[in-house]
Amino acid sequence: MSIVSPRQRILVIEDDKKMARSLREGFDERGYDVQVASSGEEGFFVVFSFRPDLLVLDLNLPGRGGLEILRQLREQALDLRILVLTSHNELEERVQGLREGADDYLGKPFAFSELMARVEALLRRGQPTTPLHSLAVADLILDLTLRRARRSGTSLALTDQEFDLLLYLVENRNRAVSREMLARDVWHETSRFTPIDNVIDVQMARLRRKVDEPFETKLLYTVRGVGFSLREPRP
Amino acid sequence: MKLPSSKSIRARLTLWYVAVLTLILAVYIAVVFFFQFALLERQIYHDAVQDVETVEALLFFDPAGHLQLQQDYFVHPQNRLLVDRLMEVQDLSGQVLYRSSTLKNFPLDGAQFPGEGTDSFNERTTKLADGSRVFLISHVHPVEGHPLLIRLGYRLTSLEGRMLQFALILLLGLPIALIAAAFAGYGIARKALSPIDEMADRAESITARNLHERLAVENEDDELGRMARVFNHLLGRLERAFAELQRFTADAAHELRTPLASVRTTGELALERNPGADEFRETVSSMLEETIRLNQTIDGLLILARTEARQVGETEELVSLPELVHEILKLLEVVIEERRVSVSEDHDGHPEVPVCADRSFVRAAILNVLHNALKFSPPGSRLHIAYSGVTIESKPAERVCIADSGPGIQAGEHERIFDRFFTSRNPDTQLSSGSGLGLSIAKLAIDRCGGRIFFDKTATEGACCCIDLPVGQCPPEKK
Repeated sequence: MSIVSPRQRILVIEDDKKMARSLREGFDERGYDVQVASSGEEGFFVVFSFRPDLLVLDLNLPGRGGLEILRQLREQALDLRILVLTSHNELEERVQGLREGADDYLGKPFAFSELMARVEALLRRGQPTTPLHSLAVADLILDLTLRRARRSGTSLALTDQEFDLLLYLVENRNRAVSREMLARDVWHETSRFTPIDNVIDVQMARLRRKVDEPFETKLLYTVRGVGFSLREPRP
Repeated sequence: MKLPSSKSIRARLTLWYVAVLTLILAVYIAVVFFFQFALLERQIYHDAVQDVETVEALLFFDPAGHLQLQQDYFVHPQNRLLVDRLMEVQDLSGQVLYRSSTLKNFPLDGAQFPGEGTDSFNERTTKLADGSRVFLISHVHPVEGHPLLIRLGYRLTSLEGRMLQFALILLLGLPIALIAAAFAGYGIARKALSPIDEMADRAESITARNLHERLAVENEDDELGRMARVFNHLLGRLERAFAELQRFTADAAHELRTPLASVRTTGELALERNPGADEFRETVSSMLEETIRLNQTIDGLLILARTEARQVGETEELVSLPELVHEILKLLEVVIEERRVSVSEDHDGHPEVPVCADRSFVRAAILNVLHNALKFSPPGSRLHIAYSGVTIESKPAERVCIADSGPGIQAGEHERIFDRFFTSRNPDTQLSSGSGLGLSIAKLAIDRCGGRIFFDKTATEGACCCIDLPVGQCPPEKK
């Protein structure tokens, strides 16, 4: 679980009560300061009183639509990251949303872990980052320059695809990644209806054979109904 | 010409018709008027020349040396016609020797101008001092040895009056003719267009409920008959599409309900049993799996709708089938290796030509077909891919056939397998069925590219799916 300090503020503008409640609980559990507004008008005012760092905005709102709120907020030139949620996941709408000033875009239904990943990435944006040369989780070390992986000092013979997959899992460690995320971010399949789920499953099984099987501590887990996750072993 | 816009074709037609008719009649009247005028002028000239000749013979000097005109009506009866004749005779020095009484002592066009009347009869129009216009003809003729300039004139007043009358009659007739034509035109247009009104009424009454109704076709061969036939064809297509949509909606609802029912039952049972943490986790996972399945079905339906709606022509490019197949094999490589399937390829030796198609469509189709073939391939079996050149409707096409060694396709299912949500009765294949939309998407994608996709009915072992795509000229500006 990420440590957030001082508590970063997230405002959720979402009219569906259940969705809003889940998002509030999810963000709350991860240590963010959350407020929820159920309409555009309400949200617009809360933005100024609450001063959030990030706004999660549903586009399908009663009254003033999400796109209009987006436009008006952007006119105010606030230091505010905006992540747009919508069930109309058409390419044109996505482009329009981004053009109106959204920083990121996520179509419903989404995996909560993916939303978290994007929220964290947006909140990190603007902070100075040093280019990483290596990443380490427990005894697994990824050399990003040479694209090699070692575990407990043993070099792992990974294919390019396997390395990319492992890297993605390490970058999203302790969080479940869905097959959809993998297909898009690792396999770069743009179409959402490409039957490569079993390609992913097979690749995952192979990766596990190389990364986990020879070692005592397991890092890779299948989260049934969600996807996969690379977890740091509890001390 | 700008006409006021009107909502009814009938009124517009009539307006146009009247406008064109007005133009034609105006030109006609002008031509007739000037032709008639010119004709009468020629006639006057002709008469005048004759008159000059007559007058020349009648001039003489009396013993006192005064020029006289012999006024013998009985010897020269045609003279009678010339009562309104204006006449002036000068000698070549310009001295007026004779002036007819009709001139009332007004001069007839002053002194002789150079060359006047010497060679031939000189004609012109001029104005008298009293303002009346005069047609004038002059001729030089010797009378008893003295060359004299004889000028004869005729007032044009009566001719002009007659021409004015003529023009008035023509112009008065014009609006009458136009009004009559407008009424006739309006009536004819109404009669000609009345079937359209009927058709519109009929078409208006056709709704989703009575799509089977058709318009009456009175005359198959005229324009309206053709329109009615086209309309009826459209209704036919609509009816079929509507029926398909209804069936599809029912199927989709069924496909969406099944995972929903599963989610519901799983949840209900779990709550009833009051499970422990592990079992609870199990239940939630199972429910999540079903939501993923639901989402995939919805995505599939959206892809179908989008593929159907997309304009293909703009996104076509040259696609090499073997290259695309290799790309997809590379993507599926791990699955192929895992199942120990050996892939063999075979070209029939014809020169391979790239096809012109939407690459993403063809890719989705081949990926679905290859994926299916792999899914049904038993471990360690063979997958054969063959390329050949064929013709579709006598146009050259490229064919790729993908043959697996799986359970194959049951008789009678070779076409239905492309239906949306189709699931085979074959128990061997039911276990590994997916969303039931993969092949429908493949078929729609290939259809939209102008190709065809089918399962070879002659395949004895496993299933053999072939895709034909026309070899075409891509628009040059696109790669």
